[in-house]
Amino acid sequence: MHEKLLIGRLIDTGSPVHRLDPRAKLTAMLLYAVMVVCARSWLALLCLMVFSVLMMALTRIPVRTYLKAAKPLRFLMLFILIVQCFAVKGGSVLVAVGSWHLDSAGLEAGAIAALRMVLLVSFTALLTFTTSPGQLNQGLEGMLKPLEWTGIPAERLSLMTGIALRFIPAILDEAQTILKAQASRGADLRELPWKEKARMLTALLVPVTVGAFRRAEDLTASMESRGYRIGAPRTRYRPLVWGQGESWFVAAFVLMCLVIVWIGFY
Amino acid sequence: MKAGKTRLQKKTVPTEIHGDASTPDGIEPTESIENIEADMVVMEKVSFAYDGQCADIHNVSLSIGRGEWVTLAGANGSGKSTLIRLMNGLLRAGSGSITIGGTKLEPGAIGGIRQKVGMVFQNPDNQFIGATVEEDMAFGLEGLCLDAEEMRSRISRYASSLGISDLLHRHPQELSGGQKQRAAVAAILAMEPELIILDEASSMLDEMARRDWLSLLREMHSEGRYTLLSITHDAEEIAASERVLVMHEGKLAADLMPGELFRSEELLRMCRMVPPFRTQLALELEKRGIRPADAGLGSGTVNMDLEDERIWPFSWNM
Repeated sequence: MHEKLLIGRLIDTGSPVHRLDPRAKLTAMLLYAVMVVCARSWLALLCLMVFSVLMMALTRIPVRTYLKAAKPLRFLMLFILIVQCFAVKGGSVLVAVGSWHLDSAGLEAGAIAALRMVLLVSFTALLTFTTSPGQLNQGLEGMLKPLEWTGIPAERLSLMTGIALRFIPAILDEAQTILKAQASRGADLRELPWKEKARMLTALLVPVTVGAFRRAEDLTASMESRGYRIGAPRTRYRPLVWGQGESWFVAAFVLMCLVIVWIGFY
Repeated sequence: MKAGKTRLQKKTVPTEIHGDASTPDGIEPTESIENIEADMVVMEKVSFAYDGQCADIHNVSLSIGRGEWVTLAGANGSGKSTLIRLMNGLLRAGSGSITIGGTKLEPGAIGGIRQKVGMVFQNPDNQFIGATVEEDMAFGLEGLCLDAEEMRSRISRYASSLGISDLLHRHPQELSGGQKQRAAVAAILAMEPELIILDEASSMLDEMARRDWLSLLREMHSEGRYTLLSITHDAEEIAASERVLVMHEGKLAADLMPGELFRSEELLRMCRMVPPFRTQLALELEKRGIRPADAGLGSGTVNMDLEDERIWPFSWNM
C-alpha cells in the first residue's frame, strides 16, 4: 500500500523547483493539463515527453519515482487502451477474430490515450513531490482569493485540502494496520477470491471511517485550542513571493503549450 | 480532605479555604476577589452536561495559583478531559463561572483566553496540523499574527530548548513517540502561554521517553513562567507535582498533596491506581514503625533524580 502513498508526499531535494512559489507550480500544472489535452499526435507527445523529463530532472527526483506515482492507475490505463481499441476503427487490420478486428488506428489511439494518462499522472506528482502540503494550501488559497467575490470560500477550501493531504498517509497506514489485524486472525486479503476481497474491503471501510472521524475531532480540538478561527486574521510564516524564477518557470510552460497547440494545427 | 472541598492556593503564600469559594471560612469577599486575580484558573460552581441533562461535570469549584504544578487524577470517564476542555472554551459550561488569568471566560473572550492556555493532547499524531514540525509550530504563531521574523526566532528558540532543532523539517510520522510529544509541546510553548494543560500527554510514551518527559515537566516548572495542569495516570508524574485534584463521577473528590493521595487507599481505589514503588515501600516501612527521611509522602516537590541517587538515607524514627 505504501507505493500508493507517493501522491501527497514531499520529497525534499532542495532543488530550485522546490523553492518556487506554489502559485507558479499550480499554474504550470493547469497549463500542463491543457498540453496533455491538446497533444493528439506522436510528435506532440514526444515533445511533451522531452519537456516533462527535462522538468523532472530540474527537481532532482529520479524519473522512476514519478512513474511509480502512476502505477496505481495501471488498470485504468489498460482499460482506456482496450476501450479505444474497440471503439476506433480505421487503418490496416492487425488481428481479426471472427467479425471482430483490431485496427491499427484503434491501437494507436489507445496507446496515445494511455500515454497521455501516464504523462498527466506522473508529471502532476511533481507538484506534491516538490511542494509541502502547507505551501500547496497557501498557493491554492492565493489563487482562489481573487475569486472570493463569486462566493468561493478560498480559506475553507484550502484548509480542507491541506488537512486531507496531511492525513492521507496516516489514514492509509491505519487501513494497513487493520488489514494486518484481519490477516492475523486468518483473513488474509491476498489469499481470498475477488468477491470475498470486495466484501472484506467493505468491512475495512467502517473502522477506517470511524478512525478518520476520531482523528478529525482531535484535530479540531488541537486547532481550536491553538486559536484557529475561520476568517480570523492570520500572518504567514512563509509569505508568497513571486520573483523572476516563477515568471520564467510559467513562461516555459506557456511556450511549450503554444508549441503543442501549433503542432496540433499543422 | 473530604470530597467536594476545594483549596485556593497561591504559590508564595499558601492559603487554604475549605468549602466553596462563596462560603469561605472566615475569608473576606475582597480577599477572594484578589485570589481570583492572582490565580491562573478559578472555576466556581461549574456544571456541564454533554446531552444537556445528565451532568458530566457537577458543581466543580477550584482554583489554581500561578506557577503551580497541579495533577488531575481520576479513573477513566470521571470527567477530567471534560473539565480541562471547559477551561479554554472547547466546551461551554452549562452553569458557573470560569476565570483564566483574571479574564472571565465568555464567548467574546475566548480568543484571548486561548492565547493564555496551551493544550497538549494524548495522541500526538492527531494534533499535528503542519506537514513538518516547523510548519506545525508556525501554525499557532500565524494565528497570533506575529511577523515572519518573530516566528522564525521563536521557532528556533523553542526547538533548541526542547532539543528538536534537527527534527524541524521532518514529517510527524517520521518521529518517535517521545519526539512527537516534544514537538507538540514546542508548538505550544512557542505561543508563550501562561497555563499549559497536558491531557494524558505521556500515556503513549515508553518508559525511557516517560523519564525524559518528566524531566521536561520539571524544567518547565522550575522556570516559573508556566502554570502546569496535567491529567495523568502515571504515579511518578503525580508524585513529582505539587498538588493533586481527584475527580470522581464528574465531581471534585479531593484536593491534596501527592503524598496524601498515596496514603489514602480509598482515593487510590477511586483513581484505580497504585502508588510508585518507593512510596509503597515507605508506607509498608512506616506501618512497621520505620520512617524514611523523605519518600515522597510529604510535600509534592520531591526531586526524584536526587531521590534515586541517594535511594534510602534511612533516618530511623522509632
